[in-house]
Amino acid sequence: MRFTIQRDKLITSVQDVMKAISSRTAIPILTGMKIEAKQHGITLTGSDSDISIESFIPTEKNGEIYVENIEEGSIVIHARYFPDIIRKLPENTVQIEVDEQLQVTIRSGKAEFSLNGQDADEYPLLPQVETDNSFQMPTDLLKYMIKQTVFAVSSMETRPILTGVKFTLEKGKLNFTATDSHRLASRDVPIDAGELEFSNVVVPGKSLNELNKILDDTEEMVEISVTENQILFKTEHLNFLSRLLDGNYPETSRLIPTQSKTTIFTKTKELIQAIDRAALLAKEDRNNVVRLTTLDNNMIEIMSNSPEIGHVTEEVPIQSMEGEELKISFSSKYVLEGLRAIHADEVKIEFTGAMRPFIIKPINGDEILQLILPVRTY
Amino acid sequence: MKTWSEATEVQPLVSKIMINSIQKGRLSHAYLFQGERGTGKSSLALLLAKTLFCEHKTGVEPCHECVMCKRIESGNHPDVHWIEPDGQSIKIAQIEELQKEFAYTGLESNQKVYIIKDADTLTVNAANRILKFLEEPSRETTAMMLTENSQSILPTIRSRCQMLDLRPLNPVHFQQQLIEEDIPKSNARLLSALTNNLHDAHELHQDESFVQARRLVIQLIEMFTRDSDDAYLFIHQKWIPFFKDRLEQEQALDLLLLAFRDLLYFHIDKKDSIVFFEQNDERLDQFILSFTEESMIYILQYILEAKRKLKQHVQPTLVMEQLTLQIQR
Repeated sequence: MRFTIQRDKLITSVQDVMKAISSRTAIPILTGMKIEAKQHGITLTGSDSDISIESFIPTEKNGEIYVENIEEGSIVIHARYFPDIIRKLPENTVQIEVDEQLQVTIRSGKAEFSLNGQDADEYPLLPQVETDNSFQMPTDLLKYMIKQTVFAVSSMETRPILTGVKFTLEKGKLNFTATDSHRLASRDVPIDAGELEFSNVVVPGKSLNELNKILDDTEEMVEISVTENQILFKTEHLNFLSRLLDGNYPETSRLIPTQSKTTIFTKTKELIQAIDRAALLAKEDRNNVVRLTTLDNNMIEIMSNSPEIGHVTEEVPIQSMEGEELKISFSSKYVLEGLRAIHADEVKIEFTGAMRPFIIKPINGDEILQLILPVRTY
Repeated sequence: MKTWSEATEVQPLVSKIMINSIQKGRLSHAYLFQGERGTGKSSLALLLAKTLFCEHKTGVEPCHECVMCKRIESGNHPDVHWIEPDGQSIKIAQIEELQKEFAYTGLESNQKVYIIKDADTLTVNAANRILKFLEEPSRETTAMMLTENSQSILPTIRSRCQMLDLRPLNPVHFQQQLIEEDIPKSNARLLSALTNNLHDAHELHQDESFVQARRLVIQLIEMFTRDSDDAYLFIHQKWIPFFKDRLEQEQALDLLLLAFRDLLYFHIDKKDSIVFFEQNDERLDQFILSFTEESMIYILQYILEAKRKLKQHVQPTLVMEQLTLQIQR
């Protein structure tokens, strides 16, 4: 294998791929980075077995030559040294050559490195994802959807399936749902996916956080393909693969109440600030409990009380209210996270009694929903 | 043992059971391989893993050449997980890691295999943690546990696995092997009694301190026969300073045990089974006058007891002092 490459292109690719490589892994080969040279370009692969990132450098783009003198082949290079070496090389081009003894020679200007490589056959085979099983959506919309749901995944390993976000594609609607069994976040987006439908695809929250970091905020399309045990997010030069969580995601649609006894319409910002203030005195080890009481003339009272510290009350004006009076306690942390994720100026909160879950939605629209369980207080 | 046919020669019964279950597609979800060191537990586990993953099998035999086989061999296959003791035991964190891994789908296939080496070293917490996991495997999971001592595994774990007892190696066969490798016959006998592993045998054979250890054991027995109080001093001046770490101490006791067993064999005229001494060693005639058959059986028991105490981290000096007193009595 041999090729000569523009150093800045290689650096960018290596940095992307490094995000998937972790130094402590059960499989020794995964401490390395796979480099594959083909006539049409160079592919770098990094993986920690949960997520895998492939970055592609084309031979040329818009008439500009990126890679030259290609002799096909592949090799695995130890990822601890390779990125630093590339970063500190003197010239703008790098020549990489591999001999039969898996010795990797890196040349740039007068500098020459010789590294021991590993056999690329030892590297895990990433699934070849068929393109007819895929759909497209804008990158920024995907990132937005991830941000609105992923915070709600469970951080406990007791029910591993809840550490993921469930993807469903049905009737041209893509849905993300995440829950940790105390709250639930769900987001719908209409997607043009043709005949494609799937359900019970559960993507680990950790992978989605990582994906969110890697993708740029652009309107370019990202292609999403689902296979039996992996999901692929494909942008122009970057493939992001994640393993899925094994098991059945609990049925969540029945948890969402359909009618409400009390409905509050309010400005999001004022409510967030009031609850945030009240949360100052709420205690972490008691679920950050804050109480909301409806008052007459379109006011609500937000209150928190910790006997050993003190208490706080605040009256907050709301826009309007329908239905019965209500006193309800809830975790300020969950409600704040939910309200912030909605990204709407005005929200509608639907309650069905003090002991039943309540829903937060934007005032005009059903596409995002935050469901939160109240806390029982005496 | 690289193929099933080779395995059949060394472990006929177990291999037959395995081959039949592979052919009929009736592999169990969990196996417990039990057998002494060197009986081929790891090789069997490796072979089974290859059989499960290999893409170019001929009958039940994996090809050993495809990427699957090669990577299983080198420990790089992403869906085959090896758990080995981290220090003295297998810790709960290792099992948690494994369980987390199994919450995910397989990286390349839907099959997963995990192999737990030295499963008797699972800590109590780790063992309990793995119970439910063993009982309710996710789809197409095969567990293999390897142990030298199935009795020290929780009965609840044992009952969830198919147990396979590996036959102990034939010591004569191993002796022959050692003699073929240019180890003198007298040494080969002793080494085959101490270990089942060819590599270990060679190392011991070349080790200077092993010769010294052997000499010390003989000296100690001489002390006992002279019936003097010197034995106690000997322990403190020579024995304890020489055998420093636990492995050495255990090995010294093994040697002592073999020596006394030889005396007993000599007594009952089973000279063929003698391993520690030469069969026509004059010292044997002399030593034997000091011990009766009955006392020797007691001594063997005391030595076994001492070995057990060492394993339980009793202070080694105290163990040896007590043993000396017991033998002298």
